Order: sequence, then structure tokens, then C-alpha cells
Amino acid sequence: MTGPARHDLDELLAAWAHARRLPDADAERIRQAIVPAVPALSVTWWSEFNQKLSTAITRATATPAPALAALQ
Amino acid sequence: MPLSRDDAAVFTRIFDQHRHAVHAYFLGRVADPELARDLLQETFLRAWRRLSEIGPLPDARQRAWLFTVARNLTIDSYRASAARQAAEAALRHHAATQETTVAGPHLQAELRERLARLDAAIRRLPEDQRVILSMATAGGLTSRQIGEALGEPAGTVRYRLSQARKQLVGERLDLEEEA
Repeated sequence: MTGPARHDLDELLAAWAHARRLPDADAERIRQAIVPAVPALSVTWWSEFNQKLSTAITRATATPAPALAALQ
Repeated sequence: MPLSRDDAAVFTRIFDQHRHAVHAYFLGRVADPELARDLLQETFLRAWRRLSEIGPLPDARQRAWLFTVARNLTIDSYRASAARQAAEAALRHHAATQETTVAGPHLQAELRERLARLDAAIRRLPEDQRVILSMATAGGLTSRQIGEALGEPAGTVRYRLSQARKQLVGERLDLEEEA
């Protein structure tokens, strides 16, 4: 096989392979059929997280009573 | 199996890493795109069920595991279809009588025609050559990776690949050499 013919066959094979490959959308459908949906996070997750965070910040930054008395 | 986001992520990584190679293997073995797709799904379904075992394996061993399953499924598939000879005969008949579907409408008519001839020629290859050619082109595997997956020396893979290419050049594909 000569150089040009080899190159031509390579190109043709590449086109064939591209056409034969499983499309990404089909692959994703197969993946989804195998892996059950992971439960989504609770809808109240964000507000609960914020509430916990606020509480922690308040506790950490509140001036302790002995320190307040010393200031007065 | 209890499902976690980590499990899904590990599986998705394995699936994305190996799906082209496994699909190419099935295309070479069974040629029927629908059956190849079904077998691909069954292979990865088994991988999902054994995720705790194969998830931690290195890439090459994951591939070896998947191809062991793929080979067994192919054998089962041959048995289920009653006779491998019948499947091969059907392949040859299909190649001789059916217009290929590999090319989309956007492709130029000439290229579509050449791809159809190539597809028919690939279907006429001996099975071992067809599988290796498919794994190398559609699967994107190296000769060494194909050898590891099929349990054959890389040199044998290269030889069969070379034989396949020689046979294809001998077909009327209107390669530049023949023009």
C-alpha cells in the first residue's frame, strides 16, 4: 500500500469509526438506565444550613458577660 | 446496594473511560448496532453491581474485567441466537443486500457511498480482524491495550490489524492508489 492510499484508508476508517461510535446522548441514556437517581438534597437543606451557621456565628461573636462587666 | 453520590461518580468515570472501547468490541463481534448497545448496557450493569470490587482497581484492570464480561456476554449471545454461523451468514447477507446506515444525511453522497463500501468490507473481514479493527478505530485502543483486553500478544494484534488493512485496500474502496 502506498503512502497516499494508506492515508486515504486512515481517513476513511476515521470517518467510519466516528459514524459507528455510540452517540453521547445514547450513552447517557444507558448510564441513567443503570444508575438509579441519587436522591436530591432536601428542599429545606439551604435554610437549615443558614440557620445553623447564623447560630454558630452569633455564639462565637457574642461578647461574654464577664468581659462586658469588665468594660463597664 | 446502597446508593451514594460517590458510587454514581465512580461508576460514571468508569463508564466514560471505557464505554467506547467496549462498544467497539461488541460492534466487531456482533455487528448489529442494537445488539451491541444492549450488550454494552448489560456489561456496565454488571460493573455497577460489582462496583465495590472494580471501582478501586487501576484503569487497565478495570478494562480487563469489563472485557472478560464482554467476552462472556458475546458467547451467551451467540448461544441465544442459536448458531454463530447463522449470525455470520446474516452479517454477510446484510453486507450484500442492505444499504449501510453509518453515514448521516449531512455527508456528501460520494463519501457516504465510500463509507457504505467500507462498512460492507469490514463486515466481510474474518471476525478476529473485524474486532481488532473496530477496537482500534472506533474504540481508540492501542495494540497493547487490545492485546491485554483480548488476552493476546500485542504483536498478534498488530499483525491482524495489518492483515485487515491489507484486505480493505484490496476491496474496491476507491482509495487514492486505485484512482
